[in-house]
Amino acid sequence: MNTTQPLQLLAPLSGVLMPLDSVPDPVFSSRVVGDGICIDPTSQTLCAPLSGVIGTLQDSAHALSVTANNGVQVLMHIGLDTVNLAGKGFTSRVKMGQRVEAGQPLIDFDADYIALHARSLLTLMLVVSGEPFSLLVDEATCIESGAPLLQVHQGEQGAVQEVQQGSVLFSSPLILPNESGLHARPAAVFAQAAKAFDANIQLHKQQAAANAKSVVAIMALQTVKGDRLQLSADGPQARQAIETLEKLLLSGCDERIEAPLAPTAVVASLEPGRLRGICASPGSAFGVVVQVASQVLEIEPMGAGIEIERAALERALAQATLALRALQGEAAGTVQAQIFSAHEELLEDPTLLEQAQALVAEGKSAAFAWKTATEATASLFQQLGSALLAERATDLADVGQRVLKLILGVQEERWSLPEQSILVAEQLTPSQTASLDTSRIAGFVTVGGGATSHVAILARALGLPSLCGVAQQVLALDNGTQVLLDADGGELHVSPDQALIEERQAANDRQRQRHQRDLEQSAQAARTLDGHRVEVSANVGSLRDVEQAMVLGGEGVGLLRSELLYLDRAHPPGHDEQAALYCAVARALGAERNLVVRTLDVGGDKPLAYVPMAPEANPFLGMRGIRLCLERPQLLREQFRAILACSGLARLHIMLPMVTQLAELRQARQMLDEEVRNLGLKQAPKLGIMIEVPAAALMADLFAPEVDFFSIGTNDLTQYTLAMDRDHPRLASQADSLHPAVLRLIARTTEAARAHGKWVGVCGALASEPLAVPVLLGLGVDELSVSVPLIPTIKACVREWDLTVCRALAQQALGQDSAEQVRDLLRTCPSTAHPATLVTEQ
Amino acid sequence: MFDRLQQVFWKALTPDLVPDESRPPVMADGLAPAMLAALGGVENLKSHQPVALTRLRVELRDVTRIDRAGLSAAGVTGVMTLDNGVVHLITGLQG
Repeated sequence: MNTTQPLQLLAPLSGVLMPLDSVPDPVFSSRVVGDGICIDPTSQTLCAPLSGVIGTLQDSAHALSVTANNGVQVLMHIGLDTVNLAGKGFTSRVKMGQRVEAGQPLIDFDADYIALHARSLLTLMLVVSGEPFSLLVDEATCIESGAPLLQVHQGEQGAVQEVQQGSVLFSSPLILPNESGLHARPAAVFAQAAKAFDANIQLHKQQAAANAKSVVAIMALQTVKGDRLQLSADGPQARQAIETLEKLLLSGCDERIEAPLAPTAVVASLEPGRLRGICASPGSAFGVVVQVASQVLEIEPMGAGIEIERAALERALAQATLALRALQGEAAGTVQAQIFSAHEELLEDPTLLEQAQALVAEGKSAAFAWKTATEATASLFQQLGSALLAERATDLADVGQRVLKLILGVQEERWSLPEQSILVAEQLTPSQTASLDTSRIAGFVTVGGGATSHVAILARALGLPSLCGVAQQVLALDNGTQVLLDADGGELHVSPDQALIEERQAANDRQRQRHQRDLEQSAQAARTLDGHRVEVSANVGSLRDVEQAMVLGGEGVGLLRSELLYLDRAHPPGHDEQAALYCAVARALGAERNLVVRTLDVGGDKPLAYVPMAPEANPFLGMRGIRLCLERPQLLREQFRAILACSGLARLHIMLPMVTQLAELRQARQMLDEEVRNLGLKQAPKLGIMIEVPAAALMADLFAPEVDFFSIGTNDLTQYTLAMDRDHPRLASQADSLHPAVLRLIARTTEAARAHGKWVGVCGALASEPLAVPVLLGLGVDELSVSVPLIPTIKACVREWDLTVCRALAQQALGQDSAEQVRDLLRTCPSTAHPATLVTEQ
Repeated sequence: MFDRLQQVFWKALTPDLVPDESRPPVMADGLAPAMLAALGGVENLKSHQPVALTRLRVELRDVTRIDRAGLSAAGVTGVMTLDNGVVHLITGLQG
């Protein structure tokens, strides 16, 4: 419907024109922000280049945008690095949302002050809405304020979008799959991904649009499941950005797309002694009430001087970032780590920072400025009228509180909890729960919050019952009150009678006893009833995992995901850093235990920041794992060298991922041998391959003589064998590793290994599934490498079986029609009625 | 190279928060004779310093003695006359 309608933009200033390419600031010269023109001003009043409405107006008044009725949006930015002036030297004559006429004065500025205090006066006028334009005057000439400068060609972007640099590309409409919309975590994942592109990226929801690199802006879009969103991007990497982000958005931004739990609602109490709520995490527990209230902080509004306060704010932000990183490290691989990563993103949010800095510049204290900025944004979230977004406000409040405490030097509260604490709170923030001793917590009860609240997520991760949406009166319960938390039934029984307690407790005890028994026996070897020893080791991504695995009876490390050392980093880790980590892990294990280090396993689906890769149409069939490493041999060679540093500290094994061709193995082996020689090592480490590509399983008889071991990656093997994306919303449930086809490939692998005297491990998710244990044993697997918390369970599971029974069962499984049939077979088989199975299967 | 890229992203987020490391070298002392002449000679010049990447900031005793045509000939593309005898001469990016 667009018609070509010329629109003239007037020069907002008098001055000397400069082409954008020459501007000594890559943000502008690269057109990340948008295409336009630069003026070196000789006048001191910025005027409107077109009629429209003032959109963004920075508090520091160095930049603003004007949006015309027809959607053309023009951003003006006075000077370079002028945000550092925090408003000094600028006087705004207009307000956000105000309608202005072309030529109307917008901002007065003190050119001499700016010239002496900022980097440059070079002023940008950018058509950020992306329409093409032509210059009405010669470049590098002088222009008078108000003279026609640019001719914008509307309605042409569709025609030129494929060819013209700096024009805007649009994605197709995308239906948001996330149950709770783009709340903090997925928004952070999305913004993080968006930041990787040299492009100006907007996320659109109907008329509204957000900077896709700003977590706050994305959250403020207030998206909900099913929203039709659209991405637009311009800049050198616009196309890649759209392709990648489109996929990310459709896949749920790393959030599991699952059926929603009941929405949050405060349910009235039925009768005295019983409070109703909504189950946020299943289970039941008996315990004592511990009320958790948030600390009240005293804040002085006025600052002690702009520089002092600015420094205080910066210091606190830096400290908070460090603290959040440390928390992420401690909780690596858990939900909490993601939450704190989202918080770290919030700390870097440009909007928040600008607001806080502007207040500091007005003479307010750092604490006041930060509190005001976070509260304003949080209340913006709350006012938008969605329960969901209101919940996201707690993220902001939590980050706000963390920084405030650092500014004020207030210590984090440490709660000393009695045994079997049932925590009761209006709302629990991630920072509060991070400092709690979770071993003493029996459950959570909150007034606010819902299935997507942090406490719910945390409770599910910890396997603790949690009730949310409970009436306010729960906050009036005295500390120490005995309660029975029945999350399954959605009830909190206050001072329950003895019979009820006993009944519930008996059921809980049985389950706990089983788990307790598994734990107690975890240090013992896992032997089948007929005495066959199976090694149960751990899949780890950090030193902390290793230590925990040792406590839980892990007999080694069957998979060290070395890429975790590489992800989210700007540079490859140096030799020393890598070597230190491998050595620490090896030392934690000791010389008698196996350490299997998988070499860098990244690719188009999990790209490395510092290994630029061309986008691939199908990254799972692209340059992944060993393929990438052999293409960039230096990376692999350096990793070999670092891994070899821990030679002798543990029984070192090196494992190559995604091997498909024998040549890949041979090439890597040669490289490894060279490094072993260069280092003068007497003993080379064992070298093995992952079996995750069907080709490798089918050719296992040819691989076996040349490897020291195989380790089966059932996740990838399943998706490649069944041609089903394990994250596909509709196929994921069918992508079952117990499919007979997958089992047959495993059988083929173990046969080939046995023929050559090599051992076979399974490090995929299948090994962590109690139901699958007898089949894997029956197929001849020697080692199960499982997720750390499941080590005791899997060991207990091994002890339930007789290997001859397992072999017969495995043969039967190979002959089934489908994964469901295999599952039925295993469920009905007597020994699988092992309680551990019931506990973890749910 | 990646540093550069990352800085660009960071700057895209918070334009201008990241200072640019490549501050230009201070222009050699002493003005081109033609420029000095167009400013009314050395006795009219109280001070001069390069500022804001593209400008020469001069303080003159008498701004009416500026010779615009002479400045243009000396490579000055724009002249901004400010209070108290301060004048910015736009000379463009150096080097």
